[in-house]
Amino acid sequence: MKRSIATRMAAMFAVAAFIVFSVVGVALYRILAWELERHQRREITTRLEFMAHMIGRQLTVERWANVRMKLDAMTPMDGSTQFWVIGPDPRFEYGEPSPELRRRLLERGDGVIAVGAVGAGQEERPMTILTQVVPAGGERPEVRLTAGINAGRFLDTQRFFATALVLVCAAGTVLVALLGFRLARLGLSPLARLSAEAQAISPENRAQRLRPQLHSNELSDLTASFNGALDRMEHAYAQLEAFNADVAHELRTPLTNLIGQTQVALGKDRPAAALKEVLQSNLEELERLRAIVNDMLFLARADRGAMAKNRERASVAREIGATVEFLDVILDEAGVSVKVSGDAQVPIETSLFRRAVTNLLQNAVEHSDRGAEIRVEVEPLPTGGGTGAGAGAGPGAGVRIAVKNAGEPIAEHHAVRLFDRFYRVDGARESRGGNHGLGLSIVKAVASMHGGTVFASSGGGVNTVGFTVSGGGGGPESPQATRPPPARTVDGA
Amino acid sequence: MKLLLVEDEQKTSDYLRHGLSEQGYTVDVARTGSDGRRLALEREYDVIVLDVMLPGEDGFSVLRGIRARKQTPVIMLTARDLVDDRVHGLREGADDYLSKPFSFLELVARLEALTRRGRPQEATHLVIDDLQLDLLGRKAQRAGVRLDLTAKEFALLSLLARRQGQILSKATITEQVWDMSFDSNTNVVEVAIRRLRAKVDDPFARKLIHTNRGMGYVLEVRPEEAG
Repeated sequence: MKRSIATRMAAMFAVAAFIVFSVVGVALYRILAWELERHQRREITTRLEFMAHMIGRQLTVERWANVRMKLDAMTPMDGSTQFWVIGPDPRFEYGEPSPELRRRLLERGDGVIAVGAVGAGQEERPMTILTQVVPAGGERPEVRLTAGINAGRFLDTQRFFATALVLVCAAGTVLVALLGFRLARLGLSPLARLSAEAQAISPENRAQRLRPQLHSNELSDLTASFNGALDRMEHAYAQLEAFNADVAHELRTPLTNLIGQTQVALGKDRPAAALKEVLQSNLEELERLRAIVNDMLFLARADRGAMAKNRERASVAREIGATVEFLDVILDEAGVSVKVSGDAQVPIETSLFRRAVTNLLQNAVEHSDRGAEIRVEVEPLPTGGGTGAGAGAGPGAGVRIAVKNAGEPIAEHHAVRLFDRFYRVDGARESRGGNHGLGLSIVKAVASMHGGTVFASSGGGVNTVGFTVSGGGGGPESPQATRPPPARTVDGA
Repeated sequence: MKLLLVEDEQKTSDYLRHGLSEQGYTVDVARTGSDGRRLALEREYDVIVLDVMLPGEDGFSVLRGIRARKQTPVIMLTARDLVDDRVHGLREGADDYLSKPFSFLELVARLEALTRRGRPQEATHLVIDDLQLDLLGRKAQRAGVRLDLTAKEFALLSLLARRQGQILSKATITEQVWDMSFDSNTNVVEVAIRRLRAKVDDPFARKLIHTNRGMGYVLEVRPEEAG
């Protein structure tokens, strides 16, 4: 299950808060412990030093009674402070420590503060103790004076503080998580608005767009790219709709003719010759339909991203030459000549390439006046990738084929749509001149199947239409420079 | 010539059987893939026409079944205009393929190529009525008069002459004469034929080149026709 962004952010906030609180808590605890210890040491040191000074001056057993009195006086009833004096001579001792305590007191180094259980049985309680050695004087041997203060209340404070810290940390973490969740929801509300707006866009109102001014700056890139995607979709959608309409139109007319003609023919008894006439006419229409369907299947294949599979390195000028030869009679009838300049060796699928050039030349012938010259210019494209083998038509370089003819200028908005299916500059659909409006679309398909593009421009009374072919990605690059000459032609001229 | 047609679509198989019978083939029809395979393995055929889209067992599977035991030439019919189909089919051992919609003439031409039937005789000299062709010397004359033909016109005329009596579609002519193996929407063939006629037929009373509307062109002697 996918978690919401707000939940995720709340969890992340909580983790961050927990880490911060823990660090702060541990630090506070340490500071408190250190401060308490300092406090205890100061308290204990004051008393110890006072008593040590006094003991230092009592040199006899008689005078030791003063020490006892003084220590008794300084020992409060609640047992919060206790004193012990131990030494080799029991007469100079105080506090009657148990053997166990005596042993432990002797273990302590001079001036070392320590916390430990002192006393026995029910009397046992935690104490902080500090020991000072009083040097021998008179009949008194060296003794160890130890003061202990009840550490219980300090420890209680420390424990209470730790518990409070843990609880505050936990509560804080929970609070941050809740706040974080609210804040994330609040911060994400522009996204929710965007999503609501995007949801309102449906195929019925394709022209609607997200309004960037309504959304946060951070979302402007998203809205822009979303709108861009919508633009492309709308364009494709519109093209598809137009295409469907065109297909319907292109197919409807011949189909209507076929049905009508056949019905008329069958409506009465007719001689075989008349029926034959109808069948022949039908066949012509059907051939037209077949050509359209085949072309559309071809275009659909290119649309799906099919690439030319059988590319072989060939001379572009030579292939154009073969195509010009094919169209020779048509060029001759139209009184138009073709001049090819430039050449390059690129991997192409020759039948596709010739088909594209045929369509381009046919298009140029249709738009040329008698006596005109069509120029076909072949220009090697600079290598796309690394500039390996020099400039020009090194291996991997593509080629640009431009067909130029003098003619009426093509308006910019026509030029960009020239390669659309069934698109005609004059807007009229009925053109019986063999070409059913897919000629240049096929050029575009062939170009894209060769990793190239198409282009069209108009200027100075010359119209240029053409395509490019990428140099790379061809099939096995045959070592021979050109494809062997077509062997099947009868005369091989 | 025995031909097996494996095709489930009634109308298609009817006209193909009719048309191919008229072309001189003895046609057996199978309506399903398994029938087709059984017939292909039981009997001896010169060529098999196999549809890809069949109910139950598809054409590729039938082809595999046949190829496991026999090398009868197979031409596949596919409704899907997919290159993949063609690659697939040819790898499985089909000898040729045609994608629907195809023209009947095209199928006949492919079948002839597969069965090596109707191969033009490799003559060097052809005589049809009063038309004489010297294929090696690339010279043509009619009624003793030298015809002044361009190279392509001669190629076209010799193609028609070598296949005399046979209707040649525009596609076949385009491919044979100009080596253009695609459906061109040009009227190159019409114009070329018109020009050829102007030289070969127009000056003479008896016409040799005939148009079969919607089908193609044929060169033959039709004595009763006046022009």
